[in-house]
Amino acid sequence: MTATVGFDIGTQNTKIILLNNNNNNDDDDNDNVDNYGKVLAHAQIFSGFDPAQALKDAVAQALKTANLSQTDITSFTATGSTLETYPYPVTNVSIMSAITKAGTHWFPNAKTIIEVGAEEARAVKCDERGVMIDFVVNERCAAGAGAFIEAMARALEIKIQDMGPLALTAERASSINAACVIFGESDVVSLIHKQEPKSEIARAVYDAMADRISAMVHRIGVNPQIVIVGGVAKDVGFLTSLKRKLGVDVLTPEFPEYAGALGAALIGLSKNKTKERPKI
Amino acid sequence: MKNNTQQEKDHPSKKIMPETTLKEIKELNTTIKTTSEQIITQTISHLKKINPNRPQEMEYFDELANMFGKRTQELEQYKAEGKKIVGYNCIFAPLELIIAAGAVPVRINSGWYDTSKLGDRVVPVEVCSIIRSTIGAKMIELSPFLELSDVLITVLTCDGMTKLSEILGGYKKVWHLSNPRIKDSDQALKFWNEEIKQIKNNLEKLTGNKITTKTLKPAILKTQKATKAFRRLQNIRKDNAVISGQDALLVTQTFMWDDIERWTEKTNILCDELDRRIQAKEWICPPDTPRVMVTGTPMFWPDNWKLPSLIEEGTPKGILVADELCSSERLLYDPVGIDEWTMTDMLNAIGERYLMACTCPCFTSKDGNEDRINWLLTKIKDHKIQGVIYYVTRGCMLYAMEYTTVKRALDKINIPVYYLDTDYTREDTGQLKTRVEAFLEMLNTQIDL
Ligand code: SF4
Ligand code: SF4
Repeated sequence: MTATVGFDIGTQNTKIILLNNNNNNDDDDNDNVDNYGKVLAHAQIFSGFDPAQALKDAVAQALKTANLSQTDITSFTATGSTLETYPYPVTNVSIMSAITKAGTHWFPNAKTIIEVGAEEARAVKCDERGVMIDFVVNERCAAGAGAFIEAMARALEIKIQDMGPLALTAERASSINAACVIFGESDVVSLIHKQEPKSEIARAVYDAMADRISAMVHRIGVNPQIVIVGGVAKDVGFLTSLKRKLGVDVLTPEFPEYAGALGAALIGLSKNKTKERPKI
Repeated sequence: MKNNTQQEKDHPSKKIMPETTLKEIKELNTTIKTTSEQIITQTISHLKKINPNRPQEMEYFDELANMFGKRTQELEQYKAEGKKIVGYNCIFAPLELIIAAGAVPVRINSGWYDTSKLGDRVVPVEVCSIIRSTIGAKMIELSPFLELSDVLITVLTCDGMTKLSEILGGYKKVWHLSNPRIKDSDQALKFWNEEIKQIKNNLEKLTGNKITTKTLKPAILKTQKATKAFRRLQNIRKDNAVISGQDALLVTQTFMWDDIERWTEKTNILCDELDRRIQAKEWICPPDTPRVMVTGTPMFWPDNWKLPSLIEEGTPKGILVADELCSSERLLYDPVGIDEWTMTDMLNAIGERYLMACTCPCFTSKDGNEDRINWLLTKIKDHKIQGVIYYVTRGCMLYAMEYTTVKRALDKINIPVYYLDTDYTREDTGQLKTRVEAFLEMLNTQIDL
């Protein structure tokens, strides 16, 4: 069996996906053709200070799960941060292309794909063919990304995974300055001193962030279906605030944090396909 | 008792910059100048490296690119001969009049990143980077062109330029040139023509040379020829990928400080070489390379030069085939159109070339800045542009705000446009790269379909 690898080197975690690359041409095993393009394995590893090493570890882990060896891998496609050198022969694709591919793979009618990661947020607009036609990014400031929630959870002295459910219990939101993580944090501290309920502060944090993300999305237009991917997509607190702000439903796939890796792998897969087919 | 001019000089509001000690000025000047010269050399050798088959005639512009080099010595020489150097901050300054008065025009906008940090000592960081950088350059006397200028024509186009003029006014003689914000009214044109006449009088007083039909006509012919050479280059780029956008941009950029006649001649020689390359089919990139145009805030040599290389050297690659920048195409796009060579006609024609033809977002009309939109649409069609990068330097309100209108117009004709905001800094190059590459990737997918 052969596999295609896609990986996404994030600021916090490196994610990897292994896809089945078998098609009719491989006659030496009896693997079902229908399994072509199926996910064989996925893994997630802390990027740390040595992302190249993290990458190797992630590949090793995924290969083990899939019961394959490195020689079975036909191509590596990378997205996310680019490294100076890779331990593998790598083709790079932009994170925008990758999330477009994954978003429309999961939801074929998707027109807007939002990705909110640890330090960055971006949104892509695509047409009915799933082709990206516009995009926006927010990379300057962590106030519109996962790191903001993390910092605020720290200030509230609660676990980050408890913050979403807590915010849902609030009836109203406090008001905080979301222009910047630093200012936001000092706002939260002063709200705590004023003894405002933590749930309301938590909701304010999500509302503030949703404000930023929705302003960003508005720049390319709010076109349903809207899909959200990236690690933060799993946070119910944020998701609820974002849906409220955008006024439309927002769809979440099962493994939103793997969007970049999956998209990269899918792009790799389609490139392999065209390679095999002689051009007429 | 002090006389009037003396009083004016001592007016406390005149000196706006904090006193910098001579020692600090010297130190900063030396370090920044040395780095700058290194960067210039590096950029030029990089351009040669990435394109081994680079047009040979670029050599002239490569040498000119060192602003501290030969051209500065020439200007010093002119000055020693008693000629006056007239600096200007915006393309509205009427070059023909400067030349007719026997003076030498040179543009003084700063492209140095490092000096923008010095500008922060005088004005808040929210201010346009070009303005902050120009202030910083004055502070440490870095720009040979600004320093050598006997007088500055400061055009009051935007808030930044207006206040910059006050700041520079504490150190140099400045002549305000105030432009109307609308073009399509009689009063506006009348007012503008008066402003131009005032500049003419000032120039005559400064140089002691009367501007006559005899001197003005050849000056106009000079810039007309330059425009023609420039248009020739643009036409070549329209259909033939024989010169990189970076090289073409360098050619137009150097116009801002070169001798106009010589620049024209060298540009024509370059075009001759490019014509031969067309004959020999020596393309610099594959035919399916995405064709990109840049519009937005001006990009000034030597530092603020990151975008063109990101477009042409990333993965995937694009080719920059046109721009709508007042540091490049807008400089020379329109010639002075003359019916009769009388003084009144010539002056009116000059006024018109600078006002009516300008697409700068400092203008508006009942239909917005429609000249810019029309210009962009025509360019996109003529140059077969496939994607537009809308480039905004931090702090420029005019360009930032006009994006919405431009985007709407380009959406209508299905031309992707991407808003790229940046600052006078090298630190954001990585982020910009990701964004430009994603944009080019998007263009590629659309082209492939
Ligand atoms: S952008 Fe407009 S105002 Fe600024 S220098 Fe260019 S033409 Fe002048
Ligand atoms: S870039 Fe914008 S703000 Fe800066 S000088 Fe030019 S018009 Fe003014």
